[in-house]
Amino acid sequence: MMSLEDFKLLYVLSCLGLGLIILSPTLAMVVKLPSGERFSELWLLGSGHMAEDYPFNVAEGQACKVYLGIGNHMGGLEYYKVYVKFRNQTEHLPDALNGTPSILDPVLEYRMFLRENEVWEREVLFSFEGISFDGNFCKVSSLVVDGCMLNVDKSAVWDEENHGFYFQLFFELWVYNNTLADFQYHNRFVWIWLNMTVSI
Amino acid sequence: MLLGKYMVNRKVLIYCAIFALTCAWLMPTCLAVDKRGAEEALADAEGALASAYGAVAEAESVGANVTELLSKLSLAGDLLAEANNTYRLGDYDGAYSYATNCSDTVEGIANQALNMKLEAEEIHGERLFFTAALSSTGLSALFVASLFGWRFSKKKYVKRVLEMKPEVRED
Repeated sequence: MMSLEDFKLLYVLSCLGLGLIILSPTLAMVVKLPSGERFSELWLLGSGHMAEDYPFNVAEGQACKVYLGIGNHMGGLEYYKVYVKFRNQTEHLPDALNGTPSILDPVLEYRMFLRENEVWEREVLFSFEGISFDGNFCKVSSLVVDGCMLNVDKSAVWDEENHGFYFQLFFELWVYNNTLADFQYHNRFVWIWLNMTVSI
Repeated sequence: MLLGKYMVNRKVLIYCAIFALTCAWLMPTCLAVDKRGAEEALADAEGALASAYGAVAEAESVGANVTELLSKLSLAGDLLAEANNTYRLGDYDGAYSYATNCSDTVEGIANQALNMKLEAEEIHGERLFFTAALSSTGLSALFVASLFGWRFSKKKYVKRVLEMKPEVRED
C-alpha cells in the first residue's frame, strides 16, 4: 500500500488535472496555439482534369484546355492574383531561387479571394491565331484565352535539340500583402510547353 | 415680308443643323475615356477593393460571418481583373466601365465589415466572460470539494491502514 505522502501527491495531481479540464474552455478562447506551416497551392491539370494530357503540339485555331487551381492554407482570408504570361525560350521565367517574378508583362489576370482551406479552380480554354513559319522562325500573333483575343507577337527559333518551335504559357501566383498595401509575388508558378505546328 | 420671314426661318434651321452636327461630332469625343482617365479609375478601384479586403479579412479573423461580403468581394475582383484585361487590350472605355463597376460594388463593404467585426468582438467578449465565469465557479467548487474530499479521503486512508493486519516477517 502507498504511503500517506504518495497518496497526498496523487490527490493533489488529480485535483490539478480536474482543474485544468474545467479551465480548458477558457484557455482555448484565450491562448492561440501556433499553427502549422502556411502556404498556398497552385496547380495546373490537363484536359482530363488529371496531371496528364497537357496540350503540347499546337496548331493555329486548335482549342486547348487546362485547369488552373489555387488552394489557400495561409491561416486566413487571402487575396490572390494570377498573371498569365507567354514567352519564347529565350525570355525570362520567374526565378524560384530568388523568389522574383518574370519581367514579362502579363497578357491576362485572374483575381480571387479565398478563405482558409478553400480552393479555387477554373477551366482555361486557349488557342492561337496568326501562327506563321519562316524558315527557322515561327511567329505567333495572338493568344485567345476564354474567347478573349490577346496580342502577343512572339517569335521562336527552331530548337535543333528538341525539334520544335517552343513557347511557354505560364501562370504566376501573387498574393496581397496588407502591410505593404500591394501585391507580392508568391514564388509559385506553373507552366506548359507548347510546340507550334502547322495545321493539317 | 413673307419672304424675309422665310429667310429667317431658313437661317435658324441651318444654324440648328450645324449645331446638331457639331454636337454629334463632339459628343463621343467628350464622353470617351482617355488612357489617363482609365488608369485613374483602375487605381481607385484597386484601392477601394484592397481596403474592402482588409476590413473583411479583419472581420473574418475575429469570427464574423462574412460570406455575403465575400461574394461581393469576389464579384468586384472579377470586375477589376476584367478592367485590367480590357485596359491591356487598349479599350479604355471598357476598362473605365469595369473599374467604376468594381468601385460601386465594393462601396460600403468596409463599413459593413467594420460593424460586423465590432459585433463579432462583442459576442466573443460576452462568450469569453460567460466561459470564464463558469470556469471560475467550477474551480471554486473544485477547491472547496477537494478540501472536504481530502479530509474524507485521509480519514478513509487512515482507517484502512489501521484495519490492516500486521504481518510478522521471518528473518
